[in-house]
Amino acid sequence: MRSLSMHLKVIITILMVLGISIICYQIFVLKTPLTESEVDNLWTIDARVNFEVKGTKPVNIEFYIPSKAGDYTVSNELFLASGYGQNVTNLPYNRLVTWSARSVSGQQTLFYRLNLTKRYADSNVNNTKGDMWRSPIATVGAKKEAVERLVKEIRSKSANISSFITTTINMINDVNNSDAQLILNDNNSVENKVNAIELVLSHAYIPIQQVHTLQLSKTTNQTPSLWIRSYIVPNKGVDNRDSTLNGSNGNWYYFNPIDGSVGLPDDQMVWWIGNDDIIKADNASKVRVNFSLANSELTAIHLAKLTPDSNNLTEFSFYTLPITTQLAYQVMLMIPFGVLMILLLRNVVGINTLGTFTPVLIALAFRETGLQFGLVFFSIIVFFGLLLRSYLEHLKLQMLPRLSVVLTFVVMLIIFTGMLSHKLGFEQGLSVSLFPMVILTMTIERLSITWEERGANFALKVAFGTLVTASLAYAIMGFKPLIYWVFTFPSILLILISFMLAMGRYRGYRLLELFRFKAMLK
Amino acid sequence: MISFTKTWKQLKQKGIMGINQRNADYILKYNDRRNYPYVDNKILTKMRAIDAGISVPEMYGIIRTEHDISKLDNVIDTHRDFVIKPAQGSGGDGIIVIADRYDKDRYKTVSGKLVLHSELEYQLSNIITGLYSLGGMRDNAIIEYRVKPDPIFKSISYEGVPDIRIIVLLGYPIMAMLRLPTRQSNGKANLHQGAIGVGVDLATGTTLNGSWFNEQISRHPDTDNEVSNIKLPLWDKFIELAARGYELVDLGYIGVDLVLDEEKGPLILELNARPGLNIQIANDVGLQQRAYIVEQHIAELKKANRTETVSERIAFSMQHFSVLKS
Repeated sequence: MRSLSMHLKVIITILMVLGISIICYQIFVLKTPLTESEVDNLWTIDARVNFEVKGTKPVNIEFYIPSKAGDYTVSNELFLASGYGQNVTNLPYNRLVTWSARSVSGQQTLFYRLNLTKRYADSNVNNTKGDMWRSPIATVGAKKEAVERLVKEIRSKSANISSFITTTINMINDVNNSDAQLILNDNNSVENKVNAIELVLSHAYIPIQQVHTLQLSKTTNQTPSLWIRSYIVPNKGVDNRDSTLNGSNGNWYYFNPIDGSVGLPDDQMVWWIGNDDIIKADNASKVRVNFSLANSELTAIHLAKLTPDSNNLTEFSFYTLPITTQLAYQVMLMIPFGVLMILLLRNVVGINTLGTFTPVLIALAFRETGLQFGLVFFSIIVFFGLLLRSYLEHLKLQMLPRLSVVLTFVVMLIIFTGMLSHKLGFEQGLSVSLFPMVILTMTIERLSITWEERGANFALKVAFGTLVTASLAYAIMGFKPLIYWVFTFPSILLILISFMLAMGRYRGYRLLELFRFKAMLK
Repeated sequence: MISFTKTWKQLKQKGIMGINQRNADYILKYNDRRNYPYVDNKILTKMRAIDAGISVPEMYGIIRTEHDISKLDNVIDTHRDFVIKPAQGSGGDGIIVIADRYDKDRYKTVSGKLVLHSELEYQLSNIITGLYSLGGMRDNAIIEYRVKPDPIFKSISYEGVPDIRIIVLLGYPIMAMLRLPTRQSNGKANLHQGAIGVGVDLATGTTLNGSWFNEQISRHPDTDNEVSNIKLPLWDKFIELAARGYELVDLGYIGVDLVLDEEKGPLILELNARPGLNIQIANDVGLQQRAYIVEQHIAELKKANRTETVSERIAFSMQHFSVLKS
């Protein structure tokens, strides 16, 4: 006996742990949304490339598009460039689409559409390593001296590489700093400032990269903004670096080239990295790139369904099944919860029901009719069925013929009631065509026997208990958030089993027994 | 909520057994499912009892098929009174008691109602098709001796046959109850239908107070007589039959239903592998409390590597479970 309960405990624990860990894996690793209504933004970015070709010439366009290894997941992308040959190449930090055509003339428009979302991105992908040392950019004359003075000053004001970069940015942006002004040479554009920053940092052997981002907000005609980033090992001093040691256990740090703040805001989406222009066009003039962004709110699970690759959330889930199968599975997966309801009501509360699983079957029937109509309908049919059954009792029929008569009568009743309610304007009456007739028949038979043997009181009590249980089972089986949960995290059934196993050895009083034995406490 | 937990604790303290505990700790633990047919099928019970020399009502015949129904007359033979019951019925369902013949194809029930021969055949057909059997399986009908209750019950019984239910744990009788039919129960000794349960002192066979449904009462509602303080005759024989029921079917936790026939004395009517719990209300004692004592005792015997005979077991029960100070 002891070994048995030990055995049981082990099984319960294993199932529980297994179920919970699968769910945790889904939630924390696959980032499966917890509720169906959790919404997420799906961003649609349209990049339109316009250019003009004078005369008829072969054209070659190289256009940077976002790398798939970014913080965002590309759920869908679309290239519209009819008449052009197209080739997408993966570069170390970017992707490059090359459009080429042998002979083109006049105004040309190429189109690239991108759907992306923040969620489901695997953040580990973004681990391309970078250089940690570079040689200084050659300069001469007064500019060289200014750079060297600046480097010296910055070094005295900074502790590590990160603060060195921040200080550099602040110095360059300082309008009162004559050295900085000398380097900038009266050009205060962001591009020029970034170039100046790069120059100064290069003399401290610090490499930086330009990062071009789009802000995720509903805009048309947005121009990319410029950031810089550097691959940094945290807390490493500026001077104790080794030129041979490149790209290990560091991290990319992003800096705002205007105010020196560290970190890329969440709404910035990296389009391309590097000093190149976004587009390089041979034999084309008046090249313009126009970005417009729009977003749509989608429920998270819908979004996951849209995201075809780069995540395995949906790969082994029910969401890949045909929609009709999905619906059937949803009903099936909820049945154990209906059964659980019966288990609790019978073994913990102590309600009597007709048969063991009859309430679940009735609850399934209610799915078609709706609860209120189903209850009324069920009661009417059982009532008339009982009348017929008590009449048949006088005819002394054998059991099988009698059951057949009752069943046929039940079918007729269902059809009649359905037609009547249709005439009266209740459309639900027609939805009961598949109301389980056999279950109704057996219910009538059992109830009438119970009535005879145990009396009307008991029979009504059992019928009432059955309907209450069926209603509760119906309620739990139709509870939307739970359906979503079970369908998305089917391993919840393992936890359910472990709970049922534990219930199998529940030996406490049933709630109604507390009343049953009350007389003994006087 | 607080009153719930309070009631819970009080019941626990009184050693009252709930259905879940009965199922988990006694029925599932001590009753081997393999042996269930010996109690569920009354034909098997009867055969075994006869082999073991345990007194049971005499069986006149078995109706197994629809075809057999026509042989009912042969089975009844010259008996003027008899009982028809399903072999695998439960709770006294489907039983017809014929007290006498009226004329060629009419019979009289105990209450004097006339029953046609064809009605008996219809009932037999119902039984055979499995209307009353557990799980609706095909069944056999038994025709057997009608027990005539001892006149001692006259004053506290309405029609029907009072019977005595004794709960036996591993061969040790732990609680007994006398079940008295009432007008409400239609003469059936079935507590669910309104029969009265009266506690019986295990040592002396003297009746205690009674229960009706879930309440405690002291007088029979139909005859208005006190149900307590009646000494059941041949009590030792009852207890012995009950204790031997354990070996008879090899089930550890059973309810043995016995009757007192005015001619043949105590008889085993049937055994029940899932005896009800209302016996606790009738005796005003928890089953769990007594079962615990027996289980302790058996654990000790096991340590000493000893088993007890029927008479030793009865002596133990009578010593420990008597509520009347003699």
